[in-house]
Amino acid sequence: MTLDLTQFHEIFFEESFEALDSMEAALLKLSAGEVDAELINTIFRVAHSIKGGAATFAFNEVAGFTHVLETLLDQLRAGKRQVRPDIVDVLLRSGDAMRGMLSATQRKDAIDTAGVAKLRAELDRIMGESGTAAAPVAAASPAKTHAAPDAPAPTPGWRIRFVPGPDLLRHGNDPLRILRELSTLGHLKVSVDAGGIPPLTDLDPEVCRLRWNLEVEGEIERSAVHAVFEWAESECELTIERIGGEPSAPAVAAPSESAAPVAAAAAAPEAVPPKAEVAARNANPDGGSIRVSIEKIDELLNSVGELVITQSVLSQLAAPLEGREAGELRSALAQLERHMRALQESVMRVRMLPISFVFNRFPRLVRDLGQRLGKKIELKVTGDTTELDKTVLEKIGDPLVHLVRNSIDHGIEMPDVRLAAGKSEHGTISLHAYHKGGNVIVEVSDDGGGLRKDKILRKALERGLVTNDVELSEERILNLIFAPGFSTADVVSDVSGRGVGMDVVRRNINELGGHIQIFSTEGKGSTIRIRLPLTLAILDGQLARVGKEVYVVPIVSIVETIQVTRERVCAVASGGQVFRLRDDYLPIVRLHALFDIEPDHHDLLDGLLMIVEADGKRVGLFVDELMSQQQVVIKSLETNFKQVTGLAGATMLGDGRVALILDIPGVITRFQAPEERGVAKPQAA
Amino acid sequence: MKDTRKKSRSKAAGSHRVRAVAAVPAVAAVPAVATAVAAPAVVAAAVIPATQPAPATAQRLGRVILGTSCTIQEAEAVRAHLLSQAALPGPYEIDGGSVELVDTAGIQLIVAFALDCLEKGVAYKWTGRSATLEKAIELLGVSPLLEYPA
Repeated sequence: MTLDLTQFHEIFFEESFEALDSMEAALLKLSAGEVDAELINTIFRVAHSIKGGAATFAFNEVAGFTHVLETLLDQLRAGKRQVRPDIVDVLLRSGDAMRGMLSATQRKDAIDTAGVAKLRAELDRIMGESGTAAAPVAAASPAKTHAAPDAPAPTPGWRIRFVPGPDLLRHGNDPLRILRELSTLGHLKVSVDAGGIPPLTDLDPEVCRLRWNLEVEGEIERSAVHAVFEWAESECELTIERIGGEPSAPAVAAPSESAAPVAAAAAAPEAVPPKAEVAARNANPDGGSIRVSIEKIDELLNSVGELVITQSVLSQLAAPLEGREAGELRSALAQLERHMRALQESVMRVRMLPISFVFNRFPRLVRDLGQRLGKKIELKVTGDTTELDKTVLEKIGDPLVHLVRNSIDHGIEMPDVRLAAGKSEHGTISLHAYHKGGNVIVEVSDDGGGLRKDKILRKALERGLVTNDVELSEERILNLIFAPGFSTADVVSDVSGRGVGMDVVRRNINELGGHIQIFSTEGKGSTIRIRLPLTLAILDGQLARVGKEVYVVPIVSIVETIQVTRERVCAVASGGQVFRLRDDYLPIVRLHALFDIEPDHHDLLDGLLMIVEADGKRVGLFVDELMSQQQVVIKSLETNFKQVTGLAGATMLGDGRVALILDIPGVITRFQAPEERGVAKPQAA
Repeated sequence: MKDTRKKSRSKAAGSHRVRAVAAVPAVAAVPAVATAVAAPAVVAAAVIPATQPAPATAQRLGRVILGTSCTIQEAEAVRAHLLSQAALPGPYEIDGGSVELVDTAGIQLIVAFALDCLEKGVAYKWTGRSATLEKAIELLGVSPLLEYPA
């Protein structure tokens, strides 16, 4: 039987990328002068695990490079070499190189061997230098620390019972690798039990019959021991106990209600089955998770969405019923609704991830770009545990990167300029996330020079974005930076200044159903505030009727709704109409004309005008009447039909009717470019 | 059947023979993996047959020669070779001097062979062990199981 290891490649890549993220975070802490042994151990373990996995899967370039990196890390860990900024820099770039090699291997692309060789030469050069012992790290290094010979306390360490399961070898987990890794943590005593080995004639060579009782001595974190068995834990019986008994506060105790059973399991492993060790770890927030594909969660969410709609239909059907049974039915339906809401919220929470997944990239970005530009910048992150829908998170990353780069490049001044302005030479960029009114707010702030309104206005005049005869409010002037191609940068660099970006940032935020605002004080700094929906699966919408059709208008896009008076409407040469709203003239968009349907009212005076805004543009949507506001479950049009400009999706109403959800930027685009509408005519049944 | 054999193995070999204890010093680097990386082109033939004609006095001598790679990938071939040698009356010689790549599956086969020898009371001796093989034996703690008692 040939073992097909390719089936484990994706898991390896996924876990390696996550591990590299942890490695980078630890390196950045080292970079900030936070030299501690556990940080170095964390970095070492990442390199070690990736090397082991890469060697198992015969990704030889990755394994070879990581081996060199690991050797340097081992020198740092052992205190043979001192942590220096230039070494941290090389290590960070080595992490990037590993990520690049893994990505290329994953895509089956060629690896940048020249870049890797160059970096490898740098690692070799550092290792070739005579090392300088770093007392603080060496003293704290757990793997190398042994109890003093005359110490009365028992030797610190861990006693491990390791019984491989029948599939351990077949799944590419080699006990030899595991024991080898354990031996890197401290002094390892191995006692093997070969009693399970049958005669050679009966032995299945792909099933491990050996069992081990191990003792690894040293001041070693329990997590470090667990990490060694990380890949094998589901395929073996594993008991880990501290030599000489557990301390009163076990390392795995979780700060939750489940702490008591966990502590019990950890403190008395003999009293519980071997699996209890794994179970105890699973109660730990770090270990208690399973990987589920996002498709499965989406299917679940979709089914819950259907249930919500069905429940809504039932409620509507029950509404006109009378009598005692009808009352009981309505009461039961009300209960059903509560449970459905709870279920929906629970399922949606499954898709939620902390915003730290996005924020984690910024320490590196700020460090690297700050160094490159010669600026001293401190990054402050708060609220990084705030949770957002995974899809929103994935889409918010790039806009945030752009905003932070802008803050570094344009916002924070050079140290001498800051000192001259009476500021600290260290600039500060803050990332702050918090919940507010059912939305998540993300703020990117800096204490730099702020936006210069006079300069923005001058550039806008030069580019013809505004005219001299219009007096703009401060907010409107600041919002000019979102105009396509707008830039106030005097010099175009590869960092920023080409004017490509802020318009894209706003469009991306708007596509997420979010909103972006700027606050800036000249000389003191700027804040960009982004309001995001918690999820893209449901939407707060205003139902609006046009003829027999009902549309859902995202509430986030609605500015106000007004009744039209004739004296405020003007016809324009192109045949359209505009409406005067205070000092502004807004185009009137007749939804019935846009979507080719028959309305109840053609006269503007008989209907309502919803003022909606997208991308800084406002229009008045003419509809017959407004209905209720409700939260709707979004169904993709692309999945079920095709993309239609102006429509974000569809939903089913309580009475079973389908309502189309308007995409306001798309509506405006469709209105402005009728020839490019791309109207999708449904196929005749 | 298996249970019976297991019991008889325990009796014959004695629990001290199937329970081996070894101490492995802390190591800084991982030479075995490095070797695997440095020598990716593993020789396909896992088992190298003896090329020397057997001396007349040693016609009944089994010769186990382990190839450069002795891992789960070659496990069936190694097992077949071990069984073919075990069919000879013995005593046996085991040559592991060429082993460059080894894993637990490979070591386990050798242990099973050694335990069979012990049960049958047929002696074996090592004529060579590569550093990689030696390190793996030490790490897995099976060293005492692979020495035929004098």
